[in-house]
Amino acid sequence: MVDLEKLRNAAKEIVSQDDVKYLIGWRDGTFGFRISPHFMESPEEADKLIFSPLCTNNLATYLTMAEKLPIPRGEEPDRRKVAVMVKGCDSRAVVQQLVEQGTNREEVYIIGCPCEGVVDIKKIEKKFPDVLESVEARWENGQIVLKLPGGEQSFPREEVLAQKCLTCRYPNPVLADTVLWDEVEVLGVEEYEDVKELEGMDSKERWAYWQDKISNCIRCYSCRNVCPMCYCEDCVLERLNPTWMFRSVNVAENTAYQLARAFHLAGRCIECGECERVCPVDIPLMKLNRKLYKEVQEDFQFEPGLDPESKPLQASYRPDDKEDFIL
Amino acid sequence: MNNNKPKIGVYVCHCGVNIAKTVDIEAVRSYAESLPYVKVARNYSYMCSDPGQLLIKEDIAEEGLNRIVVASCSPRMHELTFRKTLAEGGLNPYYLEMANIREQCSWVHEDSEEATSKARKLVAAAVAKARLLEPLEEKEVEVEPATLIIGGGIAGIQAALDIAGAGFKVYVVEKTPSVGGKMSQLDKTFPTLDCSACILTPKMVDVASHPNIELLTYSQVEDVQGYVGNFEVKVRKKARYVDIDKCTGCGICAQECRLAGRIPSEYEAGIGKRGAIYLPFPQAVPAKFTIDPESCLYLTRGKCGKEPKCVEHCSLGAIDFEQQDEFVEFKVGAIIVATGYDVFDASRKPEYGYQDYDNVLTSLELERLVSASGPTGGEIVLGKGEEAFVPKEVAFIQCVGSRDASCGNEYCSRVCCMYTAKLAHLIKEKVPDSNVRVYYMDVRAFGKGFEEFYDRVRREGVRYIRGNPSEVFKRDGKLVVKAEDTLTAKPLEDEVDMVVLSVGLEPRKDTREIIDLLRLSQSSDRFYLEAHPKLAPVDTATDGVYLAGCAQGPKDIPDTVAQAKGAASSALILLASGKVNIQAQISVVNEATCRGCGYCVEICPYGAIEMGEVNRFGHIVSVAKVNEALCKGCGACVAGCFSGSIQQKSFKDRQILPQIAVLGVVK
Repeated sequence: MVDLEKLRNAAKEIVSQDDVKYLIGWRDGTFGFRISPHFMESPEEADKLIFSPLCTNNLATYLTMAEKLPIPRGEEPDRRKVAVMVKGCDSRAVVQQLVEQGTNREEVYIIGCPCEGVVDIKKIEKKFPDVLESVEARWENGQIVLKLPGGEQSFPREEVLAQKCLTCRYPNPVLADTVLWDEVEVLGVEEYEDVKELEGMDSKERWAYWQDKISNCIRCYSCRNVCPMCYCEDCVLERLNPTWMFRSVNVAENTAYQLARAFHLAGRCIECGECERVCPVDIPLMKLNRKLYKEVQEDFQFEPGLDPESKPLQASYRPDDKEDFIL
Repeated sequence: MNNNKPKIGVYVCHCGVNIAKTVDIEAVRSYAESLPYVKVARNYSYMCSDPGQLLIKEDIAEEGLNRIVVASCSPRMHELTFRKTLAEGGLNPYYLEMANIREQCSWVHEDSEEATSKARKLVAAAVAKARLLEPLEEKEVEVEPATLIIGGGIAGIQAALDIAGAGFKVYVVEKTPSVGGKMSQLDKTFPTLDCSACILTPKMVDVASHPNIELLTYSQVEDVQGYVGNFEVKVRKKARYVDIDKCTGCGICAQECRLAGRIPSEYEAGIGKRGAIYLPFPQAVPAKFTIDPESCLYLTRGKCGKEPKCVEHCSLGAIDFEQQDEFVEFKVGAIIVATGYDVFDASRKPEYGYQDYDNVLTSLELERLVSASGPTGGEIVLGKGEEAFVPKEVAFIQCVGSRDASCGNEYCSRVCCMYTAKLAHLIKEKVPDSNVRVYYMDVRAFGKGFEEFYDRVRREGVRYIRGNPSEVFKRDGKLVVKAEDTLTAKPLEDEVDMVVLSVGLEPRKDTREIIDLLRLSQSSDRFYLEAHPKLAPVDTATDGVYLAGCAQGPKDIPDTVAQAKGAASSALILLASGKVNIQAQISVVNEATCRGCGYCVEICPYGAIEMGEVNRFGHIVSVAKVNEALCKGCGACVAGCFSGSIQQKSFKDRQILPQIAVLGVVK
């Protein structure tokens, strides 16, 4: 059970530690169902922390996003820990970052929040398009309760939860320094129904489907920027020499971009669904990612982001690996 | 020289008619002339010939060329030739780009027009890349004047003696307690019938006594790091439980061992027995006893009577059950792999009844049976005690485990035809009234004196029956070989006393270990792969690692010795020159964009990349660092890098993308 008091007390304690720089959590947003990340440097700010079905953001992204400002000569870089609150999926992002050495285990403190699933904001905003006041939410007996301006309303999970949560097999953090409350029951089963539906189409239908979706892409790069796995200093897709991809927004270049992004995430995507959530033109990006997730799982019996000691998929090799994709 | 603006010379080769027959050379040449930055375009019958190379050198001098494109054969053939030409002409050798219009064009196409159009594209692509080439520098490293030889069979022994004789240090690492290998188990050698032990043992003694050779028997290579000229080797000396310095090889311990005569002897191919403490064979080098930890009562159960018999009877106190494995580390410049082979396991062909019937033997078992040093003292006797008898009707079955796709060995083992003839001869010699027949598919008597020997054996009365037996079974206590004589198309059921399976040669079971250690490759027959089947038969893809003997593929003793001498000479070239040039077309890391994920470290098959630290505006971040001496320029790391921060020199993205663009777009 989510216990906000326990959460805030724990946060106060953690952020007061000498070896902790700041804590990243969630707090109420400024309007509607949106919530904000909360960067907390002192214990006084702990009372703003929340954990609710609205906490969709994957905060692991901020671990690699922190700007590394130049350090004046003679000064030491601040190597204190960053504490981060994680749901099950977010914890997998941290694990995968550890595997890839994008994050240093000594420089992160993981606060695990077992999670019963977060809402799909797009689904709710469709139901309540005009809510401007900040809304609170909570889990209660397997239902999601929203505190709307007109009073509380509760919904069954299936109605409002994000798709990724309905099939989630890792609602409990796979790695944490402290877990705030009891683990939750695993309810999701992954059957790749949406992927299989696409696989069932012939190549022309599938091409038409994706062309339709991808032609909407405005190349805002939100999907890349929000992704906890996309943290190259200098993205290869934006380089000019050599130019792998032109900046023009058209189906050809958009497709090149989306395919490159998906392939760069093969064996690395941990299915947090952030790319799809932030997409302003509703491209079903998770279908691409999950297709590759499925391929990797079937061909190499590999799932990323589960074991910080494991080797990354692209960098490990077994003599009996399938080679039937080589012409 | 002004390198700022590319001035490219294109040279189109006829290669006699190899290219000119299919490709319109003049059309390609005149097209090349029209390409941007091309100053000169010429054609010549053989560019690799001296006059051909002179053309390039003259043009460099007279026309001020600074990039050269040669459109000819595969760079595997002549890239080095032309690099040298450029160097002689005063250009950096890496300003060369080759367009392969032979293997990738004229040899694989028939339509002249299409082939010419493709040759044009290939040349245009090469020109597009040549424009962007950068000068590279070859670095030199010192060579450690020592060699590691893995395996102490005849191949390893011969290579060791040659290298040591030339004055260089050699370390021979042998897995078993004695050097000698499979050759020491043989009785006579074909076709001359020399006694195998008589010609081998002097060499074994030489290896042990040579001042330049350090013999590490009962040892295994645990780890090899480093690169050509500078390998760091770690060897595990397994505990013998016998103090070598004290043991005189008197053998009383072996006589007294409680298990004496109860453990199958590896040397006797299982038909003779030994004790838990043993000397593999009388002429073993070193002549020191070893305790087999898997059978010794004291070592397996912690108890052997009141006191182990060997300890009790060794007056010199050489037995030491406390002995531990030791590790030795040393540096070498070259490595020779002479690990030999395994004999095919005849039980994998159950139709021949090897596991079911006592009197079905493998050829190696017969070899021990006819040997004067074998368990019967050289008498051909089957069975024990009262049941002992001399087999009169003997059948050999050839190609057991060779030329047989059903057991995964499609190759010919090359020695079975002749050792079968030899063994048949030896049986006729020792049991003159015996009837010997050989069931064969083909007899391959290709070596010096082989055909003559085969004829001689047939004259002695050995019958050769062409047909591959389908089954060996027992009827009324007698073995029956069921076959078809394919020359007369007659089915046969042949009653015999003894069946000998002429088993083939297989890659060793521990092949994989050496592959992982030295990053070698296997050919489709699973033996180690040589660098080139014809022109580099003892080299491997790993510089400084050479192959000798059956590790590379089945061969007889003369071929093994010849190859061992070849491998020794290859190693000596390296050691004697004392210096080696390392790859110039290696990977480089862009430390400013490297995200430090370490994928390349895991991907690199040569262990050439490790993580290092750089100071990025005061932040210490980890980035990949390439060890230039270890990098082979394979490009695997480049493909694995997400941020495109590793590039391979001469194959950088911005060099090959324009090349690909030309191939794809230009008509």
